[in-house]
Amino acid sequence: MTILINKDTKVLVQGITGRSGRLQTENMLAYGTQVVAGVTPGKGGTSVQGVPVYNYVKEAVASHDINAAISFVPPPFAKDACFEIIDHKIPLLVLTTEGIPENDVLEIIQYGRLKGTRVLGPGTAGLISPGEAKIGAHPGRMYTKGEVGIVSKSGALSYEVGKNLTEAGIGQTTVVGVGGGPIWGFTQKDAVELFQQDDETKIIVLLGEIGGSMEDEAAAYIKAHVTKPVIAMIVGRAAPEGKSLGHAGAIIEGSKGTAESKAALLTAAGAKMATTPQEIIALIKELRM
Amino acid sequence: MNLYEFQGKQLYQTMGIPIPKGQLIWQKEDAKRLEKACALKAQVLTGGRGKAGGIKLWDGKSDIMALVNHIMDLNIHGEAVNLLLAEEAIHIKDEYYVAITYKGSDAQPILVLSPEGGVDIEAVAEHTPEKICTLPIDPVTGIKAYQLKYAAEFLGYDKEEELSQLILNLYRVYKTYDATLAEINPLAVTEKGLLALDAKVVLDDHAEFRQEALFNQLRDEAGKITGTRESGHKDTITYVELDGNVGLISDGAGTGMLTLDLIKDAGAQAANFCELGGITNAQVMYDALKKVMANPNVKSVLIVLIGGFNRMDEMADGIIRYQEEYGFHVPLSIRMCGTLEEVGKEKMQAVNIPTYDQLPEAVIHAVKNIQEVTP
Repeated sequence: MTILINKDTKVLVQGITGRSGRLQTENMLAYGTQVVAGVTPGKGGTSVQGVPVYNYVKEAVASHDINAAISFVPPPFAKDACFEIIDHKIPLLVLTTEGIPENDVLEIIQYGRLKGTRVLGPGTAGLISPGEAKIGAHPGRMYTKGEVGIVSKSGALSYEVGKNLTEAGIGQTTVVGVGGGPIWGFTQKDAVELFQQDDETKIIVLLGEIGGSMEDEAAAYIKAHVTKPVIAMIVGRAAPEGKSLGHAGAIIEGSKGTAESKAALLTAAGAKMATTPQEIIALIKELRM
Repeated sequence: MNLYEFQGKQLYQTMGIPIPKGQLIWQKEDAKRLEKACALKAQVLTGGRGKAGGIKLWDGKSDIMALVNHIMDLNIHGEAVNLLLAEEAIHIKDEYYVAITYKGSDAQPILVLSPEGGVDIEAVAEHTPEKICTLPIDPVTGIKAYQLKYAAEFLGYDKEEELSQLILNLYRVYKTYDATLAEINPLAVTEKGLLALDAKVVLDDHAEFRQEALFNQLRDEAGKITGTRESGHKDTITYVELDGNVGLISDGAGTGMLTLDLIKDAGAQAANFCELGGITNAQVMYDALKKVMANPNVKSVLIVLIGGFNRMDEMADGIIRYQEEYGFHVPLSIRMCGTLEEVGKEKMQAVNIPTYDQLPEAVIHAVKNIQEVTP
């Protein structure tokens, strides 16, 4: 199995007629993802890459079986757009948009929890189950089907590690980017939990970065519940204190949130630490021997 | 955006949170108008103001100018003191801590309370965690009545209704003005009831599109204090200057941090961290190059691209435009892969700029390039 998405997942693209929505729809279709419908208010009746476009989510779910959505709606309109997805009981929402006001993000995620929609993001690159489907930006060629589950804060870092693993002949079940924060609807811990439950996933790779406490919470979960081998890498070892590096949460304050403090907790939880993608490969090879 | 104390208090006042009577002292001479005993408080954004001597009590009799001169000549953690807030002296019976913020990994707003106000809350959290209570706020339903009842009990305040109203008003500040932090430390218990003696408010920069008038007003005020008016955030680029010689640009924060680490492992240091952020097009790459190349310490440039949403054709266009307009006076190493990489690489090849496929290879070349420039 994979986690969250597979070849049977039927996807709605919200904001399908925009520049990013259009290009990513093309890439998802090319990868084999079942993109069955798109929504852009005012563009109903048209199509993108053969995918029918509707004005409202209501119309899309009336005509199609849909169990995941990806949203490209810009920040000022994102909250209402996400509410529309959630109101129609679509169980997975991949929210790629960055720069949504934080109060709106908190409302979207909570409303999703109450109504049964899991929100991945915001600001996420999405996820890919190699050989089956992808929802989001993960470049398909960098991945191959296999037995390593990867969760990363950063999208780009999950491409980087995926590419290296694939070139080394190591495949993946699912690769998830949870977003750069500072608020997450779906955390590293949530992904680790699903990978632990997934039969096909044999090794879990956790890619974290300096700042915040999310890796610490994943470490606590690993210590208490995870029996599969976990390999972790925390980037930002060379980062200076007190400067926010690109992700709002990526900042070292005092002794908190450093690569060392996170590595110590993960090591205590039984994870093996790597400092480069090449070391991750070496550790996986060691585990397979 | 971080707000000054007086700005935070103005926002509190609009929502009915009681604050002490006060006036702003822009010029030292303005303090001569003061007649009654008061607290003189430096208006700075950095924390630890009290410990640094930025708050003084005036008894209403002694030489006020000596106090004013002392505070206004301070430099508090690198920040000059250009404005004072003079507030009526208050007789305090007790001090609490009340704040509304959020916890990102729980994706939940939180109400944080402590009966130990007026001190560094981080220290309270570390040494006596039982004296801090964190209540989750459901943003859909708002703060619930039983939570407010609990809050009053936890703080040991007997006028439950008054405290409840104050907390609800603080939550209105948080929501109405798109704050990410609305803190009152201390919340004073006085003869006349509760009073917000300090205000620490941080507004969400991402909400500027719907708080434009407020942001402009706050920036104008801040500009009057510091002498330079900050412009609004225009692009999504994160640029942080560092101490080394390798100018770095990445199209992801995670890969940017990984590259910082790899540069260090290779025995050099990055001259900066520069990440393109959420909006990535040719213009953003061009702008990023301008920022990075403006640093005279840059001896070698490393561009690390692994595009998902980001398109390599547009990245190439941005780099080529920079080369045409300014030229590269230091060696360039580019790692390019991901969305539309064939088109991007073709464009780079057409102008004779080589690209690498592997990150370690690009890092090693970038580091080697510095050594060649500086023997």
